[in-house]
Amino acid sequence: MIHRLLIANRGEIAVRIIRACRELGIESVAVYSDADSRAPHVVAADRAVPIGPARASESYLSIPRIVDAARQAQADAVHPGYGFLAENAAFADACASAGLVFVGPPAAVIGRMGSKIEARQLVQAAGVPIVPGDTPQHQSDEGVSEALRRVGLPALVKAAAGGGGKGMRRIADPGEALDAIQAARREAIAAFGDGTLYVERLIERGHHVEVQVFGDSHGRIVHLFERDCSVQRRHQKIIEESPSPVLTPALRERMTAAAVAAARAAGYINAGTVEFLVDVSTGGPGPAPFYFLEMNTRLQVEHPVTEEVTGLDLVRAQLLVAAGEPLPWDAAHIGLRGHAIEARIYAEDPAANFVPQAGRLLLYREPRLPGVRIDSGVSEGSDIPVHYDPIIAKVIASAETRPLAIARLNAALRAFPILGVHTNVPFLLRVLEDASFQRGEIDTAFLDREGARLTVADDAIPEWVRRVMALGDQSQAVSPGQPQRTPGTWDPWG
Amino acid sequence: MGPVGITPVADGEYLVDADGRRERVYAAGPAHDRWAFWNGRVYRLVEPSAPRARLRRDRAGAVQAIAAPMPATVIKVLVSAGQTVRKGDAVVVLEAMKMELPIRATNDAVVAAVRCAPGDLVQADATLVELT
Repeated sequence: MIHRLLIANRGEIAVRIIRACRELGIESVAVYSDADSRAPHVVAADRAVPIGPARASESYLSIPRIVDAARQAQADAVHPGYGFLAENAAFADACASAGLVFVGPPAAVIGRMGSKIEARQLVQAAGVPIVPGDTPQHQSDEGVSEALRRVGLPALVKAAAGGGGKGMRRIADPGEALDAIQAARREAIAAFGDGTLYVERLIERGHHVEVQVFGDSHGRIVHLFERDCSVQRRHQKIIEESPSPVLTPALRERMTAAAVAAARAAGYINAGTVEFLVDVSTGGPGPAPFYFLEMNTRLQVEHPVTEEVTGLDLVRAQLLVAAGEPLPWDAAHIGLRGHAIEARIYAEDPAANFVPQAGRLLLYREPRLPGVRIDSGVSEGSDIPVHYDPIIAKVIASAETRPLAIARLNAALRAFPILGVHTNVPFLLRVLEDASFQRGEIDTAFLDREGARLTVADDAIPEWVRRVMALGDQSQAVSPGQPQRTPGTWDPWG
Repeated sequence: MGPVGITPVADGEYLVDADGRRERVYAAGPAHDRWAFWNGRVYRLVEPSAPRARLRRDRAGAVQAIAAPMPATVIKVLVSAGQTVRKGDAVVVLEAMKMELPIRATNDAVVAAVRCAPGDLVQADATLVELT
């Protein structure tokens, strides 16, 4: 059993993991950079250790500093969350060497699946379909161009060490190949320190459907159904849901079996996600073809969607499995009930080309509504620092059907005031109200192709809003957590 | 709009009764930079004198400052003093929240001065490059 867990992360995911610790009676240790000394994850944890300057490379991304912090706090385990060091095999190794339980798969598995080329070969050998593609024999411009010719255009050049759209280029025309290859390589070296590239055929209207898998150290691997994350803006997921609106029961059966086969081939332990692209454009009578994209060897941002439709606690299971216990569920008892949908609220301005926003949350009130879960790592009065991912909160709505879950999410976003920074909420509402989205027809390139018509312009201010704004600042000192109530009715124009 | 009744129900939260409708409006911020939320929409009113302008011109209209739109880290400076730039050319690349953001020249001009260097942490509205 784990006694004291260090959470090598910040924000909403750190808060989420701390909650699981509390329920299991595990002591939680937060780490924080200079920018986060009073952040909610620091306040929520049982203890907290400073790990350095605001810049992530010197704090949340520093393996020695985090291992030192674990030693200093006498933690016996480390949870990496997502992002930062979560898929860094060297970090998992460093934890193991320091005698710390790493909450995730073994370092060798992270390394194996982290190489997209190796992962493709491994799952293909296990009988899982992969996107048709080619790995260049030689990594020279000519070698990659040769691979492009074999695959045919349009195609994607991708970084072997890649993820998040970095080191990736779409090539439709032979004339743009050389520039694209060189740009992808530059970006891959800058982002991952590894410029190895491979080529995949471009599937123009694919749906991103991923399967949650979970393995334990006793050789069991189960799946927890799928999530559809096709609503993406520049390869960044913004809305995720389960079940997928494009899967038939037969396709679900085949894809979940393929995901388990891939996880088994990888020797997978703990929570992981097998990402697939489903090609619905073929439109034939048979089930749509699907292809393995990659495996994420960690907890996903969108894991709450799965928790809501299965009723299972993924973080709790991660901690149990990391301690060597068997999975707390039987495959026969894992069911899918109703529909859940998540929207990611980002501090970015949809009216100004989605420029990330930094600043203080002057007002931040999470709605309390039935069927709505909010995972967040901020509070009123807290700062959105410039140094990290601009995610503010995840809003997850559950209901018995997809249309009801969408309506519930819509209502929750309309009742969630966030002031002091612009957010993508107006854009999220446009997507939720879009007819293509409501029919479940949005593919991964939809927003980049047709997002312009969903773009939010500056609205004229309604009169009733203008009147309130004209009241001026009623409370000079906003003290977080202690709202000042001003009872009574008055009418300044009465 | 007829008579309007505004009822504060919590810090920054108001019920507005007007024309037989009731709206819930949230507001915050000082008078010169006021924010409001209603029904999923955010409104901001900034006094023209407030320090907001991203592009400033001196009295003669000769020098323009290209300024940072938000706090960010300078990762690349793509121009040097004396260089000619065309409208839309990237002059500086900023990074904020893991995203790269190219800052572009607003018109054809000559770089008068570079006011930042790679690695600098700049505040919102800080001058990055001056153009003439």
